[in-house]
Amino acid sequence: MSRTIITNARLIGEQSLADLYLKDSLIEGVNLGGEVSHTFDAAGKLVTPAFIDLHTHLREPGQEVKEDLASGLAAAAAGGYGTVVSMANTDPVIDDPGLVTDLLAKAERLGLARLRPAAALSRGLKGAQLTDFAALQAAGAVMLTDDGIPVADGHLLRRACEYAAELGLVIQTHSEEPSLRQDGVMNEGTVSQRLGLPGNPVQAEAVMVYRDCELALMTGARVHIAHVSSRRGLQLIEWFKAQGAPVTAEVTPHHLTLTDETLGAFDPIYKVAPPLRTAEDVAYLRGALARAVVDSIGTDHAPHTRAEKDLDLLQAPSGIANLEVAFPLLYTKLVLDGVLTLTDLLHYFQSGPAKVMGWPAPSLAPGAPADLTVIDLESARPVTPSAFQSKAKFSPWDGWQLQGWPVATFVRGRRVGS
Amino acid sequence: MMVKHRHLLDFTGWTADELLALFDTTDVMAQVLQRTIKKVPALQGFTVSTLFFESSTRTRLSFERAARAQSADVISFAAGGSSLAKGESLKDTLRTIDAMQVDLYVVRHAAAGVPYQLARWTDAAIVNAGDGRRAHPTQALLDAYTFRTSFPGFDGFAGKKLAIIGDILHSRVARSNLELWTRLGATVALCGPATLLPRELEQPRLSLHHRLEPTLEGAQAVMALRLQQERMTSGLLPSLAEYRARYQLTEAVMALAHPNAIVMHPGPMNRDVEISSSLADSPRSVIERQVANGVPVRMAVLYTLLVGKK
Repeated sequence: MSRTIITNARLIGEQSLADLYLKDSLIEGVNLGGEVSHTFDAAGKLVTPAFIDLHTHLREPGQEVKEDLASGLAAAAAGGYGTVVSMANTDPVIDDPGLVTDLLAKAERLGLARLRPAAALSRGLKGAQLTDFAALQAAGAVMLTDDGIPVADGHLLRRACEYAAELGLVIQTHSEEPSLRQDGVMNEGTVSQRLGLPGNPVQAEAVMVYRDCELALMTGARVHIAHVSSRRGLQLIEWFKAQGAPVTAEVTPHHLTLTDETLGAFDPIYKVAPPLRTAEDVAYLRGALARAVVDSIGTDHAPHTRAEKDLDLLQAPSGIANLEVAFPLLYTKLVLDGVLTLTDLLHYFQSGPAKVMGWPAPSLAPGAPADLTVIDLESARPVTPSAFQSKAKFSPWDGWQLQGWPVATFVRGRRVGS
Repeated sequence: MMVKHRHLLDFTGWTADELLALFDTTDVMAQVLQRTIKKVPALQGFTVSTLFFESSTRTRLSFERAARAQSADVISFAAGGSSLAKGESLKDTLRTIDAMQVDLYVVRHAAAGVPYQLARWTDAAIVNAGDGRRAHPTQALLDAYTFRTSFPGFDGFAGKKLAIIGDILHSRVARSNLELWTRLGATVALCGPATLLPRELEQPRLSLHHRLEPTLEGAQAVMALRLQQERMTSGLLPSLAEYRARYQLTEAVMALAHPNAIVMHPGPMNRDVEISSSLADSPRSVIERQVANGVPVRMAVLYTLLVGKK
């Protein structure tokens, strides 16, 4: 038996500091006293359930040059995450139960953040034939998604929804209509026309969000719309929710803090799909968080190599690595700037994503899993990508002065990462 | 006049006075090219490298002529058959050539922004010779220089009007000319079908039109842009016939412009598509002089960036 005490913990809703006891992999209670085997002094810092990310590209198997389970799950822990849902667009694609089993076994051995793999919705992400949903679920897959590639065939997505609804599986969609997106590499608008870069219009997202919500309403499937980037997209989701469609919406740290103006630097580190939008969209996304139209903040952590991001803007791959900055970034830009309360922001990292998945709400109540993170809400320091656990040691937020850094993360009652 | 710029990527940060000084230098270079010995030692000891990731023999030859006429050494790099085809990155290609002590790169690439990216990775000067749809500053300079030298006693760009007709959406020539002429005090009218005329370009001193009449009215310089045949298959235009009927520049429609208006084309031309053959060959046409002016303009740019800033 192992027993850990986290002393001087600031807990949400408590006036005075508390001593939190962890027994083996579970929360035991507060201020209990007695013998302990490990001690961690929180020194007045916030102690809160570890975060959940429903949208993480860990790149293993096959793309370990970008990221692997060890680096990605360490980055997650460093960012305060105790659980991540890995995306299936690896090489090979996670479309076979054996691959899910392998991922889970390897992650278990690493003992970092918990891995809950997503599986591909279509074989090979080809958008033609469904994967074996039930077998994938039995192997441990928690979500079905072709993320990275929109499901172009509406009929296939309809059947996927019907089948997933029966099994109670969540479908996550990358909602961009390929025929409208075309070869766009950034948001279509004033900036793209000035820079002479091919544009990807908001309408590509809106049209697909509409279709995906309509199919959720039709089939009763739980459809989680990933990385909603635009006002138009969110307005549609709000409208469908009002009609009872079982849809949920995710927004990302980058769509909440960066605009298409960043592309003026002609640096592909700002290239992401869907693209960074206008300041008006950013403001709308922030407002939607405040109004609880959004259900979760997912990172869409999508690491690439520096060499890939040194290609030209037409060739460079899309994606931003952000597991290690997500919380301090949004604490600084949303909570300290008065857009959201700390409690609301935490909701989008904890109970929000849990609810999307139908998982128990994370808590520090006795008997709950001892997955927690300790956050320093006071000290400000700059983003330093060279110190990232992730293999992607560059960042759009390089040098930004942020507050709210996770300083320790515990999973299953044990401190993980550095 | 001293110029503070290290690169010519576009006209961001260039003042009207700096641009007019480039034209004055171009006058000097044009005189050099009239001599029996068309060569000066101004850039002796400097090495200029043309880095063409997208092929354009005309522009590359014009730059190389401009460098050699000033006695610079020239290293010519073209993507076809090079290490790029073997998967070498932009950065590694640049570093390889950088090791040969290059002072200035002339860069052409199909993607907007590549000259900016390269500028971050080298200490050498960079001249943008066309990046994607974005900018082609020396083309705009030679267009404006051609205009300036087409009228005896030219009294400046203020109050002048440039009309550009055609595929504005995909045109770096249109974007660079818009940037340059408005900076010099002229007004610009852009004209094309809605599918090829991005309304987001809107800015002061610019008007956007779908019809030739208001575009040409009062214009002293009229430019037709090359229409790529693939615009029809990508759904941007219904047919060549419809484009010709609405937008082809002819001697007849030129009656709508200023009586002394000149006709320009950045080349290569599709005769009898965007411009009638007879107009291209008429006395109004300065198309051949544009090509000729390319060399002294580029000489002035190379000279200014390599020597004029010191």
